[in-house]
Parts: sequence; structure tokens; C-alpha cells
Amino acid sequence: MLDLDWNLLLEIDWVEIGGATLDTLTMLGVSMLFTVLAGLPLGVLLFISAPGQLRARPRLYAVLSFLVNVLRSLPFVILLIVLMPFTLLLVGTSIGVAGAIVPLVVGAVPFFARLVENVLREVDRGVIEASQSMGARLSHIVFKVLLPESLPGLIGAATVTAVALVGYTAMSGVIGGGGLGDLAIRYGYQRFQTEIMIVTVVLLLALVQGLQSAGDSLVRRCRFD
Amino acid sequence: MIEVQSISKHYQHGGKSIAALDNVSLQIASGEIYGIIGRSGAGKSTLIRCLNLLERPDSGHVSLHGEDITRLDERALQQRRQRIGMVFQHFNLLRSRTVAANVRFPLELAGGQSPAQMDARVDELLALVGLQDHKHKRPSQLSGGQKQRVGIARALANHPDLLLCDEATSALDPETTDAILALLADINRQLGLTIVLITHDMRVIRQLCDSVAVLDHGRVVEQGKVLDVFLAPQHAVTQSLLAETGMGQGALQGIWRQRVATPVIKLTFVGEPTLQPVLDKVGREVGLRVNLLSGTLSEIKDTPFGQLLAGVVASDVDVSALPAIFAREGVRCEVL
Ligand SMILES: Nc1ncnc2c1ncn2[C@@H]1O[C@H](COP(=O)(O)OP(=O)(O)O)[C@@H](O)[C@H]1O
Ligand SMILES: [Mg+2]
Repeated sequence: MLDLDWNLLLEIDWVEIGGATLDTLTMLGVSMLFTVLAGLPLGVLLFISAPGQLRARPRLYAVLSFLVNVLRSLPFVILLIVLMPFTLLLVGTSIGVAGAIVPLVVGAVPFFARLVENVLREVDRGVIEASQSMGARLSHIVFKVLLPESLPGLIGAATVTAVALVGYTAMSGVIGGGGLGDLAIRYGYQRFQTEIMIVTVVLLLALVQGLQSAGDSLVRRCRFD
Repeated sequence: MIEVQSISKHYQHGGKSIAALDNVSLQIASGEIYGIIGRSGAGKSTLIRCLNLLERPDSGHVSLHGEDITRLDERALQQRRQRIGMVFQHFNLLRSRTVAANVRFPLELAGGQSPAQMDARVDELLALVGLQDHKHKRPSQLSGGQKQRVGIARALANHPDLLLCDEATSALDPETTDAILALLADINRQLGLTIVLITHDMRVIRQLCDSVAVLDHGRVVEQGKVLDVFLAPQHAVTQSLLAETGMGQGALQGIWRQRVATPVIKLTFVGEPTLQPVLDKVGREVGLRVNLLSGTLSEIKDTPFGQLLAGVVASDVDVSALPAIFAREGVRCEVL
């Protein structure tokens, strides 16, 4: 059994925990926003450029697909470090919450884009064909057919991505990104203050649970039956 | 007039090239219902998809009312397609849209109408197919027949001059099929709309079509007026399609009914009586004089059989007594 001294809870710096929570939420919110803004178009591009698809460009698809795979295969910690110069250039700092957002987005975009591609593949080909038979242009098909028809799947993909981002934020401590995960590692793992670790883990768990049920209930609400 | 001029389409299959369409030519008159029948894999879908170029033929031309659509660029083709309706076997409705919004979809694609105009048109179309009361439902809440009505309303939205139906009733039960076929016939009559439909079911051709082409292995093996093809099917595929559906000449009763004022009888001979002068014999016995409307003689598994359709011009006995009299000679007689 762990020998826990819950009296330590009284000594926990709740202000620090509050700050860390805020940091996590900021990183999550901002990086999720940019992930969707970049990942959704990339996912659509992957889908329509794939061989046999609406605008088949096999070479372009192969290149994009390879890049996505490269980024997805890199451990996030490595991405954090490798991207530091780029981050500095882009946001003026490569550390802290602001510095963490760039690698978070770079890590999550390929993940989300691939999920989007797979969700779009589930759209009934017959429906796409029916739209073509009515004279739909590509833009019509994307905005009036593909995206609306796959909305529940897209929300599901965004939920999975947000949960994955929570995991990524934990590692951003490496570059001083802060947040709950960082707190858990610094106090719990490195200083053996298990109580703090447990508190942060509970908070992270609550966050993940909250994201998942919010996502699920949105999916339920926009299902088409 | 729709003209299909020697179109061919090949698909690569494991390094081998197979001809889905092999030099197909058709002429379809404006305002008619033209059926294309064939077995599964005959190339029917490929052919009908060539009429709006969802599938581009490798060679050949398709002209609609004198305009060669194979020469149109992408934009022009998209514009043209707005006035070619298409109805699908599996309906292909947008799940994310209500019935009304599905019908509105092609109007949105075409553009140039105010929301109020579009709504008015949607109401008009839903009334035409009898779905006013289901306007706000989702496709998932509809029966198959209702879904196909939505599909038809949607196909008619932009006032097409051609309606293509790809096995439009093949996913429906017989009763619903009849209702949908009746709706298509109505639309053809009311709007003077040319309809091209494909089917594997001779009953659909019989109920609906003016002309028919029989497709087999990518070739048109027979084409003509439905009446002619049913009365004298030339090609083995046509004949077997007719035979399978249990349709001899008698199937044409509906058409004769409209043209012939006298009572019509259908005589079916199976086996030995086929080879005997039964009609002549009975004719002398009861003073029966007939006007022969159609007839066939054929064989099913070595058994000869024949069917005669005859208008009764004169008879000493009541027409209703004829079945019993013919029965004595081993011939089935039905008064139609
Ligand atoms: N996209 C395709 N790729 C390869 N072969 C195809 C494709 N579409 C149709 N075919 C082939 O072409 C032939 C005709 O198909 P189709 O027109 O669908 O026939 P039908 O509608 O009469 O059943 C079939 O042998 C089919 O396998
Ligand atoms: Mg087919």
C-alpha cells in the first residue's frame, strides 16, 4: 500500500494547481481550434485526392499521406524539441504555454486529418454520385454533401483528437509548457509527492471524461434518425 | 430525341479488358418511356450512366435534342445535368436533410432562385409525388416507396427534359413497385417527360414502356416497340427473359383492352392440343368467329405450348360458356 499522508492535501498549493488547470485548458482550447482549422481541410484534401476519388491526384496524395505518417510516427516529445526553432519564428517564443501550442497543433493536425479522411470515406458513394448527377460542383459536394453527411463522425473524430491532445499537453512540461500533466510529473514523479500526482490525475481524468461525454452527446444530438 | 451513337466502354479487370458496352446505338424519341432490360452485369447501369456522362464512354457520342454532350466541358456538363433527372435503386437521399431539404437540394445547386421560390417549388413537387405530409421527416423515417418518391421529386426539381431511372423499383416490394411505376407513368403523361429506365424485370417493361432495348454482354441484341418485342421476341435472351417472367402474349391484355371493343379470350395450349385444330373445331361447333389478335407457339422443356389472343366477333353461346367448352378439348380459355 502506498503510504499516503492526506494532510498534505492541506498544504497543496491549490493556486498552482488552478494555474496549471488553466494552462492545460488554454493549450487544449487554442490547439484544438487550430487543429480543426488546419486538419479539416487537410482531411478533405486527402479524401478527394486519393486514387479513385473525386479529384484523384495519386502523386499529391502519396506525398501528403507520407508527411502525415511521418508526423504521426514521431514521438511527441521529439516533435516538441525539433520544432523549437520553428515555434520561435512563428510565435516569438519556443517555451511556455504559447511555445507549446505550435507543436501541439503540428502533432494533432495529421492525426485529426487522417481521422477526417476515414470518416469521409464512410459517406455513401451513391449519395455523392446522385449529387454529381444533379450537376453538383466539387465545392457543392464538399460543403453540401460530404461535411453535413459525416457531421456525427467528424464530431467523434474531434473528440478523439481532443482527448489525445490532453495527453500531449502533459509532455509540454519538457519545454516549460506547464499544465496539469507537467505538475503531475514534476511533483508526483520527480519529487515523490504522490498526493499532488493523484490530484492532478483526477483532474485530467475529469477533463477527459468531460470531453468524451460532451462529444458523445453532440454526436447523439446530430445523428440523422 | 436522344441519340446514342456507337458508344463503347471497357473496364480493366486484373490486367484484362472487359467490354461493359460494345458499340451500343440507341434512338429514343422525345416523350416516350424507353426501357433497357438485361441480366445482371449486362451493362445496363453503365449505359444509363453514359446518358448523363457519370460514366464517360471510351468512344461514341451521346446527343440530347441535337446537342452532343460528350463535347461539353466540365462546367457546361454540370449545367446540363441539372436538367437530367436521375433516380436510383437505393434512393441515395441525403441523410442529413429532411424530405423537403432533399428536394430543395438540386434547386440550391442550380441557384438563381430566392428561398421563397425554392420553398414553393418544393411544395409543388411534394404534392406531385404525394408526400406533403412528410415534408419535415428524415429519410430514415420513411418507407422504401416514400424514399423513392422523394428521389423522384428531387429528380424533377429543375424541370428536366430527361429522367433516368436505374432499377428504380428493384429494392421495393411488388405493391410499392406498382405504385411507383404508376407515378412514373403519370409523370410521363402529365409532363411529357422522356423517361429512360433500366430493369431486369420484364413486368416493369410491360407495365410502363413504349420501347425497349435488350442488352446482353454489352450489346443491344434486340430493340423496338414493346408490343413488337413481346409478340415476336427475336433474340434468345429476350425470349428467356419473357419466359422466366411467365409472360406470353396474354400479358398484353391491357394494351388490347384499350383498342379492341369485342370481348377478348386468351387460349393457352400445352402439349398435344397445341398440334390440333382446336379453335377451328370449337368454332364450327358453337358458331364461334374470332379476330385473332396475337399468338405464339413455343416450347418449355420439350413440351409445346401456344397462346392465342382472340377477339370474339360472334358466338352462338355466351362468352362465359367458352372456358368449359375449350376445357373439354384440353385447352385453357380465359375471358379477359
Ligand atoms: N467501375 C467498374 N470497374 C470495373 N468493372 C466495372 C465497373 N462498373 C461496371 N463494371 C463491369 O461492367 C459490366 C457491366 O456492369 P453494369 O453496367 O453495372 O451491369 P448491370 O447494371 O447490367 O448489372 C460488369 O461486368 C461489371 O463487372
Ligand atoms: Mg446495374
